[in-house]
Amino acid sequence: MFNLLYKELRLAAHPTLFVFMLMGILVIVPAYPYGVVFLFGCLAPFITFMFGRETRDTYYTALLPIKKSDVVKGKCLLVSFTQLTQLLISIPFAILRVYIIPEGNPVGIEANVAYYGFGLIIFAIFNLIFFVQFYQTAFKVGRTFIIASVPAVIGIFIMEFLAHIPSLQWLDSTSPDMMFRQLPILGLGLVIYIMGMCYTFNLAARRFSAVDL
Amino acid sequence: MNILSVQGLTKQYPSFTLQSVSFSLSYGRIMGLIGVNGAGKTTTLKSILNMVCPDDGQIEMLGRSFPDNELACKQEIGVVFGGVDFYQHKKLRDITNVTRRFYTNWDESAYQKYMQEFNLDELKQVKQLSAGMRVKYSIALALSHHAKLLIFDEPTSGLDPVSRDDLLVLFRQLIKDGQRSILFSTHITSDLEKCADDITYIKKGKVLASAEKESFIQSFQHLKEPSDSRGLTLEEVMLRTERGSNNV
Repeated sequence: MFNLLYKELRLAAHPTLFVFMLMGILVIVPAYPYGVVFLFGCLAPFITFMFGRETRDTYYTALLPIKKSDVVKGKCLLVSFTQLTQLLISIPFAILRVYIIPEGNPVGIEANVAYYGFGLIIFAIFNLIFFVQFYQTAFKVGRTFIIASVPAVIGIFIMEFLAHIPSLQWLDSTSPDMMFRQLPILGLGLVIYIMGMCYTFNLAARRFSAVDL
Repeated sequence: MNILSVQGLTKQYPSFTLQSVSFSLSYGRIMGLIGVNGAGKTTTLKSILNMVCPDDGQIEMLGRSFPDNELACKQEIGVVFGGVDFYQHKKLRDITNVTRRFYTNWDESAYQKYMQEFNLDELKQVKQLSAGMRVKYSIALALSHHAKLLIFDEPTSGLDPVSRDDLLVLFRQLIKDGQRSILFSTHITSDLEKCADDITYIKKGKVLASAEKESFIQSFQHLKEPSDSRGLTLEEVMLRTERGSNNV
């Protein structure tokens, strides 16, 4: 598994992937729709998959002494690594923000515990559609990205919408007691993300097994 | 004993069908897979390697079913599809550093020996290599993990005559100990005349003949014309077989 991830990072990853990993830093911007951070986490796999098509990455990988399904596993590992690293990088900045800009984010949800839970759910939905669609052909990446990014954008709008409902104001807070109340959303996000990635891998690998390279 | 056995390999495409391809390759032999462009040589090789999903057929490699033992079988084979045409902007060193991690039998000294022998510079990017050098790099990778079965798709295409001859000599050296075999597809019949032990001829997705080289050529001597003073060569066999059916 480590070798697959190493191969993805050394040969398959487009340089922008590493730049997008750093985009979690945006949560320190005083007024910014933080949901956009998740879009960078979706854009990173799109560019890397496109780059992979141009560099014939699938072809190289399929010839290595691995199972055909491991080609998909490598990409699942890369995308999870990117998205989770992006969120982890953002956490110190989200904490710092509470202290240096205590007045909060005027244009959208705060970078709080619920925000990370929503982010994981949005990533899980995007990944499921993106991987399963892509590995039907292992070729059509542009169309796949459009299909997968629509529900991801809708997810971001729903997150912002919920945070603006007066009775759900606790979702848009960074006070410790409110963030404690948000913990189940983070837990749900983690469960959906982990189970979602396992399901995504199984389904995409099954699709890919029928693809002729 | 066979190192590779292909039985009834079938793959159907809308406009082309690989029809029940069968042949076997013994240890210590070089088999040439010949046929015109589009005859099904690459599809056959890709189907053997599960890169194309065959509709039917059995593949046995090193005494094991390939689909059931894909991982173990791939550790013991070396595959070269033309030259390296992936990761054009990567240095050879970077590609090697990744590739070596996947092979339990990786032999660094063998790798360095072949890189020197082929005059390959690890610090060069793939795009800086000529077509011939790319083939040589692919072969260096394939030989560096002591593969028992080498599968090459058009390995000599794009090579200059000297490099081609060097490669064919290398092929003969590789199988000398009887532990390795080579299956390679080509349409350059002179390469086969020089180094193949067995020939499998594919025409329009069907195996027309698969036999030891001399008996293969003998079996096509009925194509001789009254004006032919000597036996047909492999090239003449191929030309007459193809042209006869196409009425060119």
